[in-house]
Amino acid sequence: MAPGGDVMTTLLIGLLIPLASGGDTPWILLLGPAGAVAVYWGLFQFYRNTGRSHSFERETLIESKPITGTDQKVDEVRGTQRTSIDGDNVHSHRQRVRRW
Amino acid sequence: MTDSQATPEPVTGPGQPGAAPPGASGPQTVDTANQALHDGVNRCPKCGSTEIQLRVSAGRLVCLFCRYEWSEARIEPVVAGEGALQDLTGTVVASGATDISPEVSGVITLKCPGCGSEVVVNTAEAMSSRCHWCRHILTINEQVPNGAVPDAVLPFGITRDQALEHIRAFAGARRLFAHRKFRRDFAPENVVGVYLPYMVVDGNASADVQGFGEVETRRYTRKNGDQEETYYDADVYQVGRHVDFTVDDLTIESSAERANMNAFVNTNNVINTILPFDTKNAVQWNASYLVGFTSERRDQDVAQVEPVLEDQLLSIARSQVEGSVSRYDRGVRWEAEHLVVHGTRWVSMYLPVWLYSYYYEENGHAMVHYIAVNGRTGETMGSVPVSQGRLILAALVAGTVLEGVALWLLAVMS
Repeated sequence: MAPGGDVMTTLLIGLLIPLASGGDTPWILLLGPAGAVAVYWGLFQFYRNTGRSHSFERETLIESKPITGTDQKVDEVRGTQRTSIDGDNVHSHRQRVRRW
Repeated sequence: MTDSQATPEPVTGPGQPGAAPPGASGPQTVDTANQALHDGVNRCPKCGSTEIQLRVSAGRLVCLFCRYEWSEARIEPVVAGEGALQDLTGTVVASGATDISPEVSGVITLKCPGCGSEVVVNTAEAMSSRCHWCRHILTINEQVPNGAVPDAVLPFGITRDQALEHIRAFAGARRLFAHRKFRRDFAPENVVGVYLPYMVVDGNASADVQGFGEVETRRYTRKNGDQEETYYDADVYQVGRHVDFTVDDLTIESSAERANMNAFVNTNNVINTILPFDTKNAVQWNASYLVGFTSERRDQDVAQVEPVLEDQLLSIARSQVEGSVSRYDRGVRWEAEHLVVHGTRWVSMYLPVWLYSYYYEENGHAMVHYIAVNGRTGETMGSVPVSQGRLILAALVAGTVLEGVALWLLAVMS
């Protein structure tokens, strides 16, 4: 995040957390602060484009052979409230993991 | 996708990420020097004049004296030859991309053949100079190891007027929250045509990734007081994928300054965003293509750019295998990755960018904001300094309106 964005986002997140942690506060009241953060961040990015870069994964001529691999069931999860696997990075192609 | 039960075997062991296969020898060099040209006076093939420059609208060199037009040969057949990319092994470096020697000066003194006087060309700033006595134009065309003469150049195809239109449109769409000082000082006529240095890389690689994926098997709700909560059951799989792939003309910055993309201190990322270029149309070097434009010299060797290449190849591999794990509807957590680069081919290239720059200082924090136009495709990207006060006001107004809607909904529901 760019420097200018930090201050505003921190301020608004500071507003969100007390609202969200209040047990009796209806979640719909978060609409205002969340909307303010979204508007600020969206406009900031439209002007400053700090998060933009060349999409070389899609815009380069790439030819790959058929993908091979293994899929082995190793465990089961029961009764979790998580909506996705912990640490899901299937779409984060540029997030590096351990090299071997 | 073809499934196999065998775990992919790494070709190289730990501690050797991206190493070439055993037995690979040192870099092989391909000579890309334009034999028809040399340092000094280079004349129009038809009339002998040295008044030569690029005619952007045609993408060809033109003699300003007799109007004869011509182009240099495309570089691709010179460096690629007949072989397929999937057969590429080892490291092939075109002669304009070889290592820079720190002993070689960037300042070159030429003896003008017209009058005998000495003309100095600082290759950090220009690749040609006019003899101040006899008015001949002298150009630098020989590949000395100082990074100044690349293998190829992609001539500008977008004219200055077209670039101005792109920049005006880009900034015009961002007037409302632009900083007042930027709006006041905005002068797109100051745009400059710059040839920026890149390494254009072909690669033949293999990659393996390993991790865990989850498939949802059941979804149900439980009562918790007045609220219903959703719970999930899932099967966990150990997942491995292997991909063999080639990349053609992956384009990477070969100037350390441009390669530094830290949005906190610079806006180089917007120049990176206007990639790619139609590098297949790049031609053999002729300094006359740069007359009237500025250029930046390459200061990075192949070895310095290699980590960036490996990082991008891994990202490409991860992107390529994504479609093969779509059955994991709760996502995949990749935990380890491995890359083997079988072969690479490196070509140093100057690529055309129209650049509008604006120096802006706020609270002691200075930054140069660029609006960059791809000199071939016209793709435009930029950074416009914002007025924080107006931006925060807009955010607060939007937030207040939304909060009002939320309160109204609460009132209606109660």
